[in-house]
Amino acid sequence: MTSLVTARNVSKHFGATRAVDNVSFDIEQGKILGLIGPNGAGKTTLLKALLGLTDCDGELSVLGLDPFRQRRELMQNICFIADVAVLPRWIRVSQLLDFVESVHPNFDRKRAEELLNDTKIKRNSKVRELSKGMVTQLHLSIIAAIDARLLVLDEPTLGLDIIFRKEFYSNLLSDYFDENRTILVTTHQVEEIENILTDVMFIVDGKILLDSPMETIAEQYVELLAAGDNADKARNYKPIHERDVFGKKVMLFEGTDRSMLSPLGELHTPSIADLFVAKVKGAVA
Amino acid sequence: MIVQNQLALVKRELWEHRAIYLTPLSIAAVMILAALTGQVSLSAFGSAVEIAMMGAHELDVDPEAHRALLTGAVSGLGGVFLVAMWILTIFYCLDALYAERKDKSILFWRSLPVTDAETVISKLVVAVAVIPLVTFLVIALTQLVTLILTSIWLSFVGGNASLLIWQALDLVDIWGGTLILVFAIPLWLSPFIGWYLLVSAWTRRAPLAVAFLPIFILPMIEKIILDTTLFANLFFERTFAIIELIEVFGDGIEDFVESDIAVDPSSISLVGAIDLGGFVLNPHLWGGIIVCALFIGAAIWVRRYRAEA
Repeated sequence: MTSLVTARNVSKHFGATRAVDNVSFDIEQGKILGLIGPNGAGKTTLLKALLGLTDCDGELSVLGLDPFRQRRELMQNICFIADVAVLPRWIRVSQLLDFVESVHPNFDRKRAEELLNDTKIKRNSKVRELSKGMVTQLHLSIIAAIDARLLVLDEPTLGLDIIFRKEFYSNLLSDYFDENRTILVTTHQVEEIENILTDVMFIVDGKILLDSPMETIAEQYVELLAAGDNADKARNYKPIHERDVFGKKVMLFEGTDRSMLSPLGELHTPSIADLFVAKVKGAVA
Repeated sequence: MIVQNQLALVKRELWEHRAIYLTPLSIAAVMILAALTGQVSLSAFGSAVEIAMMGAHELDVDPEAHRALLTGAVSGLGGVFLVAMWILTIFYCLDALYAERKDKSILFWRSLPVTDAETVISKLVVAVAVIPLVTFLVIALTQLVTLILTSIWLSFVGGNASLLIWQALDLVDIWGGTLILVFAIPLWLSPFIGWYLLVSAWTRRAPLAVAFLPIFILPMIEKIILDTTLFANLFFERTFAIIELIEVFGDGIEDFVESDIAVDPSSISLVGAIDLGGFVLNPHLWGGIIVCALFIGAAIWVRRYRAEA
């Protein structure tokens, strides 16, 4: 596997605040990595450092380049969608295509036109005349037509309705993703993307709390639904988190053998959202 | 690649800031309309009045004076455009790096393989080259259309347009002189252009106020505390010097019109009235360009290093 991103002891300070605190990780080619964290956890700062939009301490290499110092070379092979509102509102769709075509060596205009033909977006419309969902479609059509190795999505579906959100991710998989490409995505709507992720990373207070492939999560973590005595017995296996659902206890275990727990109640693989809550509360406690 | 990026970036500025060509075109429309209205109104009087108004009754007006007056009038048409050009340049610069931050489209622009330096320089190119060039083209167009309309009107009222206008006027000279002026103004005022672009890149709100307050407050503070006028001289004399630059040729034209001395017709020249050598060799011009370069460097730095949305 080729490592696309290598981070070693990366930090970023804003005054006394450590937005990113001494993190190290790798992102391999062909992965879809979900970066999950609460507001202010340092997700956006970390993404900005990866995109060369901000300077940082430590060793950071993206596609073998120093992102801050070699941003122009980097941007030929990286695309990013920051959030839905960033396309300039005054520009016409055709002008946007013209501009990207003239500055981006890896942009395939024909491909973008094909993708746009599947939408209701007119070439002579201005961005301000399009709905929020259409703006995102437009942005994704442009991005999908760029032959880039890494796509970074920061809350790409913010403010979109459920239909557009579903469509966005299915288009992302069908039009964009293949084994040569890598996607890094952050979102609050974790449940909508967890089935497309190959890897997940939790970040809280600038630190990485979890960095794991999705398969490992199913092996490593298990959720038990138990009631009464069984719940008390299960507590002996030291769940990392416990919550109430309809009078029953839902307990989350890390590294505990499923065969020990199965007599005590129903077992599930926890959702990313539940795992995240458990991990964050566990880290705080 | 660098040239191709610059062309694309400049084109983008013209899409975004349509005022760059709409402003001079609107002024042109008003002027041409005024010329038409004036001619129609004048036609209400007798044809003798009409032709006299051209400053050139074929019988008794000195041809040199006629030529000088006509050169002055046609060149003078450009004056309003030059003032409008400078106001447009101020507003353009203040908006150029501010609007993209306000609507957050800066995140999109920065997602493309274009450096911050290229972007900021494209805005400078628009201020010192594209706006002047567009202004020049519209001035030339306005002069041409007005003269053609006047010729048609003259032929209607019995004057000889060929003799009174086209033979008396050296359009190439007027256009040459105008071209020098449209480029000399932003070069001379380039430290202001650099300052406006820096404010535009840096301020969080109200770029107009942030840009102009120091220009008025610094000289005031300096006067109160030190009782000197260094800043006042720097800011205001530089601004008014450009008016002198324009006056130089204005005076020249006046001389031609008013002097009783016989003038060599070939010396009635707008280009000849501009002291280009003196302008290019003026150390204040180069000092200003260096200050502009420093401000532009700072604007690039701010766009690149500021960690904000």
